[in-house]
Amino acid sequence: MTTVPVAFVINGRRVEFMVEPRRALADAIRDDLGLTGTHLGCEHGVCGACTVLVDGQPARSCLMLAVQAEGADVTTIEGLAHGDEPHPIQRAMREAHGFQCGFCTPGFLMSAVALLAENPAPTRDQIRAELSGNLCRCTGYQSIIDGVEIAVRLLATTSDGAGT
Amino acid sequence: MNTPPGLSGLVGQSVTRVEDDRLLTGRGRYVADVDPPGVLHAAFLRSPLAHARIKSIEVAAAKRAPEVVAVFTGADMARLTRPFPPFFMLPGLYNPSFPAMSADKVRHVGDLVALVVAESRYAAEDGLELIVVDYEPLPPVASIAQALSPTSEPVWEKAGGNVLYDFTDTFGDVDAIFAAADRVITERFSCHRQSNQPMETRGTVIEVDPDDSHLTVHSATQSSHLLRWMIAALTGKRSTLSSLRRFVTNTERRRGFVTAAREFIRDNAQELRRQDPAGMRAQFSKDRTSVIGVNLLGISLLGKDDYPTVKAHDIGGAFGSKGQVAREDIALAAAAIEIGRSVKWIEDRVENLTDGGQAREEDLAVSIAVDHDGTFRGLKVDITIDQGAFPGFPVGAPGFTRIIKTMLPGSYHWDGFEMRSRVVATNKGKYVAYRGPWANETWARERMIDVVARTLGLSPTEVRLKNMIDESDMPTAMITGPKIDQTMSTKKTLVRAVELMNPQAFQNDRQSAAAEGRYLGLGMACYHEAAPGHYEYWDSINPGTNLLLAERARTTVDPDGAITVYTSQMPHGQSHETTFVQIVADELGVPREDVRLVWGDTDKTPFTIGGTGGSRGAPIGGGAVRKASREVRQLIVERAAQMLEAATEDIGIVAGNVHVKGVPSRGLTFAEIAHEATVAKRDRTEPAFDVTSTYRGHTDCGWSTATHACIVEIDLETGLVKIPRYVVVEDCGPVINPAVVDGQVRGGVAQGIGAVLYEHCAYDDAANPQATTYMDYLIPTAMEIPDIEVHHLQTLSPGENDFRGIGEGGMIGAPAAITNAIEDALAPFGARVTDQYLPPTRILQLAHVIGHD
Repeated sequence: MTTVPVAFVINGRRVEFMVEPRRALADAIRDDLGLTGTHLGCEHGVCGACTVLVDGQPARSCLMLAVQAEGADVTTIEGLAHGDEPHPIQRAMREAHGFQCGFCTPGFLMSAVALLAENPAPTRDQIRAELSGNLCRCTGYQSIIDGVEIAVRLLATTSDGAGT
Repeated sequence: MNTPPGLSGLVGQSVTRVEDDRLLTGRGRYVADVDPPGVLHAAFLRSPLAHARIKSIEVAAAKRAPEVVAVFTGADMARLTRPFPPFFMLPGLYNPSFPAMSADKVRHVGDLVALVVAESRYAAEDGLELIVVDYEPLPPVASIAQALSPTSEPVWEKAGGNVLYDFTDTFGDVDAIFAAADRVITERFSCHRQSNQPMETRGTVIEVDPDDSHLTVHSATQSSHLLRWMIAALTGKRSTLSSLRRFVTNTERRRGFVTAAREFIRDNAQELRRQDPAGMRAQFSKDRTSVIGVNLLGISLLGKDDYPTVKAHDIGGAFGSKGQVAREDIALAAAAIEIGRSVKWIEDRVENLTDGGQAREEDLAVSIAVDHDGTFRGLKVDITIDQGAFPGFPVGAPGFTRIIKTMLPGSYHWDGFEMRSRVVATNKGKYVAYRGPWANETWARERMIDVVARTLGLSPTEVRLKNMIDESDMPTAMITGPKIDQTMSTKKTLVRAVELMNPQAFQNDRQSAAAEGRYLGLGMACYHEAAPGHYEYWDSINPGTNLLLAERARTTVDPDGAITVYTSQMPHGQSHETTFVQIVADELGVPREDVRLVWGDTDKTPFTIGGTGGSRGAPIGGGAVRKASREVRQLIVERAAQMLEAATEDIGIVAGNVHVKGVPSRGLTFAEIAHEATVAKRDRTEPAFDVTSTYRGHTDCGWSTATHACIVEIDLETGLVKIPRYVVVEDCGPVINPAVVDGQVRGGVAQGIGAVLYEHCAYDDAANPQATTYMDYLIPTAMEIPDIEVHHLQTLSPGENDFRGIGEGGMIGAPAAITNAIEDALAPFGARVTDQYLPPTRILQLAHVIGHD
């Protein structure tokens, strides 16, 4: 199978490599770039575990081809913290006992970051609606919603901002 | 010895999770993240037909495809592997032996037909496309009704039909009790097929050491030791004579085996004596070769020079499904051995929905003999389970009928009980343990109690309270045998739940809602569960199964003072790394940062046949780490007493400072004491203190219990059901970490809500699965699951380690509470809820808004 070059920025780092045109972005992120924090739960765009930010917008990296990321700015869970300083959503989820097995976690965190960038003070109902594109099988969601609410408070008291 | 809730220290506090350091930052390590150098990738060709003979299979083109390294058919696998043995044998049961991959016949859509190993997953899947299989279709068996028909095509030829198990248990003179009661009320209930659906699918990486061919198996497994033994037993097939010869000539292996066997027999002598040979006789009468096969497996194990190492890392949920030893695991190991290279398989979601584990498809006919005042007299149940084609391994549907039989009478008084259990084979995916595998006993009983109350014109709560075992009756026993102590506090949970729900206020809400065309209903359900149950409980399930109540743990202190705890538990979301460390840190008197938990690696962790499952984590695994740590503490105290020239009883430990009580300023650190012990031992490579201890939950570790109560609101325009309030009052004894317990309860309830309203492994009349993606199998989202109130009673027990399991209960109580609430809401239409699955169309049918099919 022929390969083509692709170049984009991921977590602030520019990468350029060869991929098969059919290669999913998720596979490129995990296997070619070694960023295994992004998880594959269904590979058909429903569970949301593979959610990453592409130019600030949440995207299902299992439904996107790597070549479609050409020139984009991609953020994964590995890119959330600033050095040793965790992102407020990470601090909040820790405090809330947000997750259990951790498999859906990267997708939820990226969706939450996108939500908070757009709306820094969402209501509980808005959080539920915005995160309904991500599936969790362990928690019943309550602790995740609680975690986003804590993040809202943390963001309101820091200058960190919700962006990435 | 009890740890009252809220005692100083870490137990009882919602401390943050140790796991989150890595899981919230993308640094978790799941099986899909394991990539040994040069690893090959596997993909399975799966049957598109439910039931067919394989006439021919052509793999030459696939073998020639780019990047394809090898292709294996079922016939190849028959040469390389031994069949799975009938692990669980019961009187009245035929449990088929089955191969790693199918060679002659396929038994369900998704059955394993061929395995392609290639340089990439993409190439392996390309290779699958080039395999041509000629199938001769057989009549499919798609339902319990079809399986019960004597003319149905047998799924397993030697079974003599599709009924694999038929057994009746009777307690008391049931017929006389039924004849004497004021009336008998009967209803039939049907539960649909559901699936565990962890967010991480199954997966296994077989790593082959290029130098010595040793296998290291990385797997998302709930039971790494069982997987290790089964891979050792079923792969590397050689003749029996050759195995025996190797056993005799390999002195080291033989000595190791004899030592291990002696240790196991000594630890479990009583249980082993109680094993019942009737099950083996039943199996032998239908299939002599399978029983002989079991014994050959033993010889095969003995002839091995080297067993694989199994390592489980982070696991993305399981809910019972990863307690199975998968056929895929055996095929992958055999392929890796044959090729001599590492092989990786990560299941995709379509595979997981068809063959990753299904559960709960059961029909139950329930009769209650009752007096006019609502007093229960007798209970009769006839249950049939659809196990699908392949049996769960090690334990499947027949084993769960034994738990259902024991638990169905619930927390109530009965004069007599009878249950007929049948297990049938159909051409569907395999029935596995799913969070509270016996849960339909609670659903059918609690649903039936509402039916009885409605029929007699009484309130369901009144009927429950009238018949429920009261604390003043204790100690007592269930009619099925297991003793009951005050840890079975179901009645207290019910009373508390009634207070919280305030039924009188609810009646007012219901009336005002009805005026607006909204239908509200209130439902409750009560249960107690063996979490994991005491010695006599397991004996009543099947003699000898109380083996499961023993577990080992090891606690070490290194020369530098570092504390390591080795557990046989296999965490996959339950937060053991946090809760076990809370227990150990309190026991040793050290900050939790000083303690590290090791799990999942068969080279390091103590042997167990269980792993994580059956609500054994806190009671048994927790008891084991506590006991080993307590013994280490004693050694530390003794050494410190010598160093400080004090009596051992005067030594205290606070925040890692080991000192004479009252003189903390002259204390010693663990490192100083460990150093001293190491100098004395003259060996710096070994831990300074090292204790392995067996914990056996014989008399304690009893019952967890709960009442679930919820209000539903039904929209008769759409048939949608909302749950504006959901309350759980639970009692699992002292809570180690309330946030962890709440999370377990809520997660279980969410799966129960999914079960009733959204999730269905539907099959058509030809046994074709209809829900093979998440567009069809609907996992509830944050929009469907309400906030859930969890209230804790914390009844202490007289035992040594009185934590009780909480992982399964949420899922056990929820379907009953929700279906009871729905029938209550639809009472104005005379609705009778007998199906557990109630999607919008069914709701609208029950309310006569639309007609029946």
